Amino acid sequence: MTLEEVLSSRPSPGQPRRYEFPAFERTVLPSGLQVLAVDVPGRPLVSANLVVRRGAAEEPAEMAGATVLAARAMTEGTERYPGVELIEAGERLGATLHVDASWDAFTVSVDVVGSRLEAALELLAELALRPTFPEEDVARLRDERLNDLLQVKADPRRRVDHAFTSIIYTSDSPYARPAGGDEVTVPRLTPDVLRSVHRSLLDPRRTALVVGGDLAGLHVPRMVEAVLGSFGGPSMGGTAGGREPETRAESAVDRPIVRFYHRPGSVQTELRIGHVGLSRRAPDFHAVQVMGAILGGLFNSRLQMNLREEKGYTYGIGAGFDMRRGAGPFAVRTAVQTPATIPSISESLSELRRIRDTQVTRAELDAARDYLVGVFPLRFETPGAVVGALGGLFVHELPDDELARYRREVDAVTIEAIQKAAQDHIHPERIAIVAVGDVDAVGAELESAGFGQLEVITEEVPTETEPEEMELIEGPEEEVE
Amino acid sequence: MTVPSVTFTDERLSNGLRLIVSEDHLAPVVAVNIWYNVGSKHEVAGKTGFAHLFEHVMFQGSGHVAKTEHMALVQAAGGTMNGTTFLDRTNYFETVPSHQLELALWLEADRMATLLGALNQENLDNQRDVVKNEKRSSYDNRPYGSWFHKLQEHVFPQGHPYHHPTIGSMEDLDAASLEDVATFFRTYYAPNNAVLSIVGDVEPAQVRRLVEKYFGEIPANRAIPALGDVSLPPILGAETREVVEDRVPLPRHFFAFRAPVLGDARFDALEVASQILAGGKGSRLYRRLLREDRIAQDVSFFALGLVGGASIVAGQATVRPGVEPAVVEAAFEEELERIGREPVTDDELARARALIETYELEALQRVDERADRLSSYATLLDDPGMINRQLDRYLAVGAAEIQAVAAEVLRPENRVVLTYVPASQPAGTTTDKESAA
Repeated sequence: MTLEEVLSSRPSPGQPRRYEFPAFERTVLPSGLQVLAVDVPGRPLVSANLVVRRGAAEEPAEMAGATVLAARAMTEGTERYPGVELIEAGERLGATLHVDASWDAFTVSVDVVGSRLEAALELLAELALRPTFPEEDVARLRDERLNDLLQVKADPRRRVDHAFTSIIYTSDSPYARPAGGDEVTVPRLTPDVLRSVHRSLLDPRRTALVVGGDLAGLHVPRMVEAVLGSFGGPSMGGTAGGREPETRAESAVDRPIVRFYHRPGSVQTELRIGHVGLSRRAPDFHAVQVMGAILGGLFNSRLQMNLREEKGYTYGIGAGFDMRRGAGPFAVRTAVQTPATIPSISESLSELRRIRDTQVTRAELDAARDYLVGVFPLRFETPGAVVGALGGLFVHELPDDELARYRREVDAVTIEAIQKAAQDHIHPERIAIVAVGDVDAVGAELESAGFGQLEVITEEVPTETEPEEMELIEGPEEEVE
Repeated sequence: MTVPSVTFTDERLSNGLRLIVSEDHLAPVVAVNIWYNVGSKHEVAGKTGFAHLFEHVMFQGSGHVAKTEHMALVQAAGGTMNGTTFLDRTNYFETVPSHQLELALWLEADRMATLLGALNQENLDNQRDVVKNEKRSSYDNRPYGSWFHKLQEHVFPQGHPYHHPTIGSMEDLDAASLEDVATFFRTYYAPNNAVLSIVGDVEPAQVRRLVEKYFGEIPANRAIPALGDVSLPPILGAETREVVEDRVPLPRHFFAFRAPVLGDARFDALEVASQILAGGKGSRLYRRLLREDRIAQDVSFFALGLVGGASIVAGQATVRPGVEPAVVEAAFEEELERIGREPVTDDELARARALIETYELEALQRVDERADRLSSYATLLDDPGMINRQLDRYLAVGAAEIQAVAAEVLRPENRVVLTYVPASQPAGTTTDKESAA
């Protein structure tokens, strides 16, 4: 065969190898602590995540940032290991201990080779149960957060994310706040506040330890019993009563609006176009996933094909639902060259209407479904990814077979279900268009474009010498979840 | 602990394509990774940014694949893909379910053999716009966004191929023509200028048969021009300083040093030194500048391995409000000087080694990373076996080696100090040199 003959015939796939999401074993300790162990043979690096089903969404508004700061401050010393000694002890095992707080969960995690798992779990337990929150270190971390807020304002990408969530949620929703706290709340976060947050987290009935990797010869529940058996004490047995409440997440927007943060000289406009979305427990989760992939998830999504591959307005554009315990944000996210700002908004809105108004094609459904089904085994190649996903099930109180069922559910999504998901969950009638860029260079047509009521906000980039007033309402950190 | 060794085969097709195959049946996935030995170091004046623009064109279709169909086919197969360009190379990769191996090979072969059949002005213009927007969002519209380009300018002299940024300049991107694309393709995108690594759930005999089928007949280019002399004096000779006004709230120092090339044992020692200096909360710079002196908001220090005459090691520290930038600079430099003056402690070295061991284990878990490293070592060092020796090389670094390389490299007469300060007046001018069209 000639090269031309070889290349003109498209290959067909071979026989797919059977794949099942790794099975896990659950053990419930007398305290109520769940141990989920998942054996992934051949993977010597073991991941262990202690996941507490409680996060920044539960903290009082006036103490915003307390959970995130508590997470950061926990590695500053424990009863047995003052200062950086705990970090050093972990490093001697080749292990880095992380503490992370999101809206819905608080996680203490470590990756370590299996033969050192028990020693690493001892450190993990020490870190989780006995942090001391030293005054000086807490003060330093508070300052670091306040300095970081200055940096947020200078970075168009972070600025627009903060602005977007502060605008779309009512002020009584935690999601309207930055998860890390703001200039008003952060100074209130004393060691005592952090200790109280930490105490509220210490409930074994809301906690799971998920361990994954090659567990041959490792008796995980016994190890956990040894290091976390006393966690919570004997009086706390049983499980937490009933399902956790959903986080309050009301829309503050009832008609289309445009909020433009003027940044003279910007060569691009950072855009977020969207509204309050939906919770992870949405019954049509799988249809929403497929719809989101077609609209703004696939590399060749409708938004990418239109704004990048046809028009060249942007390096990349995506859209999706950030699903949390409450209704997280839905947003189209992109940065476009300044002169293309108005057509980019207009094309994005038109894509949002189109996926509601007309059915997707068979080919679009096939492409999105085949991607989501096919890429599933790739996503879970390593124990870290498997452990993270199981932690997510625990946090969202989803059924044990949620991941095992995933591909079947996605496979069953229909064209009609996609359109219904779009109509139910995409809302042009209350869309917020939030932009950071040079409004003068965008052009006067922005006002007359009919996108919605326009408000322009001019901010100076703050410097250390001229502290400036900042709104109390800002959006959460983008890295949450 | 022992990091499992990666077994692989290493051979060449008759047209010069280097094929590396590594079998691993743990997960039903396979990584296909191809490195072309062409990077922005091969660009000439007036044509900067070209290697990277070309990488974008590689996704715009080829003889039997339509524009953007590459992504569509890979994603519909349940795979992921991308391409990247840097100073020394351009790479393309797909990770797919193992029964889709042939699709990935066909896609890579089709563009290696027939890219020019699909090339047109419209696609080039479109990707030029996309790349210019990539430049804006990754560098021009970002606080401190120009730092790496400025360090390159200072560490590598005018005329050296690492002097200019991989993303290129707006003027040069505007000037790129279809003829440039065709010439670049014919020159560099030949099988004898590429390494193809395939790692995962495959049978090596079948892989060989398929690679021979799809790539075997693609003609070699026997006239690939050699890169000129890229050698450099080992150190800069004098300190270089620059102050940059930018729209930033906090001053930030960047430091850079010219360093030995990738593959030199001294470079391994610099990587271990970087771990001790700034690898996490137990590291020297973090402790000193954040925890103890409380003068910096963040610190980093890292070694970036290159093969063209010299590598670069660099670091940064953001100055906390109310602190004199000079104080932060002095503390940072003092720590760099100290690591060259006295040996690191046994405990520091033991912790760094244990962490590096875990990082290696973590990275090598994934088939895509294994494939990328095999291609990288084969392309840059002609030695894919480094994948199994790199960890031992790190573990062989002792306190004496760290002290010696630090004293040699991290010294004032080999130093670039770049300081970003808040602009004294609001920046009203754009750095975007594109015309209104």
